[in-house]
Amino acid sequence: MSQELGRSVKPLANIVKAEGAEPLFQAGDAVKISVRFPVGHYRVPTYIRGKRARVEAVVEPAAINNEDEGFGRNVGVKRHYYRIAIPLSELWKGYAGSKNDGLRIEVFETWLERS
Amino acid sequence: MSSHAHAHTPAPDTGDAVPGYYQVMETAVRERLVEKKVIGAGEIRQMLEVMDTRTPALGSKIVARAWVDPEFRARLLANGRATLEELGIDFFEDTQLMVLENTDSVHNLVVCTLCSCYPREILGLPPDWYKMKPYRARAVKEPRAVLAEFGTVIPDDVEIRVSDSTSMIRFLVLPQRPKGTEGFTEEQLAALVTRDAMIGVVRASNPEKKEKSR
Amino acid sequence: MTQTENLVKRLPTEMGGLDAGPVQRIEHEYAPWEKRCHALANLLDIHKIVSTEEKRRGVEALGQEMVEKLTYYERWIVAFANILFQKQILTPEELAKKMEEVAARHGGPQDISTKSVG
Repeated sequence: MSQELGRSVKPLANIVKAEGAEPLFQAGDAVKISVRFPVGHYRVPTYIRGKRARVEAVVEPAAINNEDEGFGRNVGVKRHYYRIAIPLSELWKGYAGSKNDGLRIEVFETWLERS
Repeated sequence: MSSHAHAHTPAPDTGDAVPGYYQVMETAVRERLVEKKVIGAGEIRQMLEVMDTRTPALGSKIVARAWVDPEFRARLLANGRATLEELGIDFFEDTQLMVLENTDSVHNLVVCTLCSCYPREILGLPPDWYKMKPYRARAVKEPRAVLAEFGTVIPDDVEIRVSDSTSMIRFLVLPQRPKGTEGFTEEQLAALVTRDAMIGVVRASNPEKKEKSR
Repeated sequence: MTQTENLVKRLPTEMGGLDAGPVQRIEHEYAPWEKRCHALANLLDIHKIVSTEEKRRGVEALGQEMVEKLTYYERWIVAFANILFQKQILTPEELAKKMEEVAARHGGPQDISTKSVG
């Protein structure tokens, strides 16, 4: 967005961003999906929990946790989703396809740990 | 486990047929909401009209344009929703659209293992099989076997990338342009792009085989 | 670990990785009531009355048996009814009475054992 004017615009100093506004992870980061079992609603499939992944992209803008949204919460702290990559061989024991085959999936920030 | 495999062909919704239990429920909910002014009287009809204009033909046109116009293609890949909104395709949900380009080294496939997320603003309503257990269970686990069931064989040196939709992002696969289509008009190209190619279970059709189903 | 924990830990709607047979290329022409149900969902979301995510959770809450046995839009409309009750937009009584009224237009009380024909 700083390129819209055709010149670089320096961010102003002394700005403190809202909680969650700054992404915790960046593209390329090695992460691990947490293991926990939310009752009633979740958007992180069980088959990826505990798996290692690489962040492919930060999804902008920050948004509400969709697990909270399921119960009607549409306000509160916004955090980022991340499009992450997991090789299918990491997900499935004895995966028979190509070693390059992979999953892409969006995961909310509170489900990711640095790996 | 949604395993209902019956080929559900419902009776036409005419004044003659007795509405079933769920249809009665739908009518009752809708009418109460209108009576209580929760939704407007004409809104359902208007929304149905909007929905009717969203069919795979729309997606095919978008793909065809991306094939002939590199600048459009680049913008589409950078921001699917914004680019399509410029064409007048409005999104009625708070979703994003990511266009996934197939290349010589990557073949994309889209699934929703948790529910049935699908780019409805572009392609309309999804086919039943996309929403049923076999596809949703196996597309992330054995995509090559699933693709083979659709008649699609992807060489081992091509990476299969399965996108499981779990958030606000919806996906549209941009298939590779078939060989032998040089000089084709956008209309001719669009005719080669089926809904299934934009889900990623098949490639775009070859020019000789234009009559591929769906 | 008890036997039943897995019923809670894994949602009945989650399919990824489960064993399953071949993909049956089933498609059907959407019935008008199904399209209306989808239109209703879109409107409830646009009006910020019931979000898409709330609808998903509502379908999940139907539980294993209903998720398996009800068809796609049947699940939606039952989920919507429940959610609208929880939000106090409709009450069970008013909806039930309305359903009687609607069913009566077609010449008889609803037969709850009749599978949806439309």
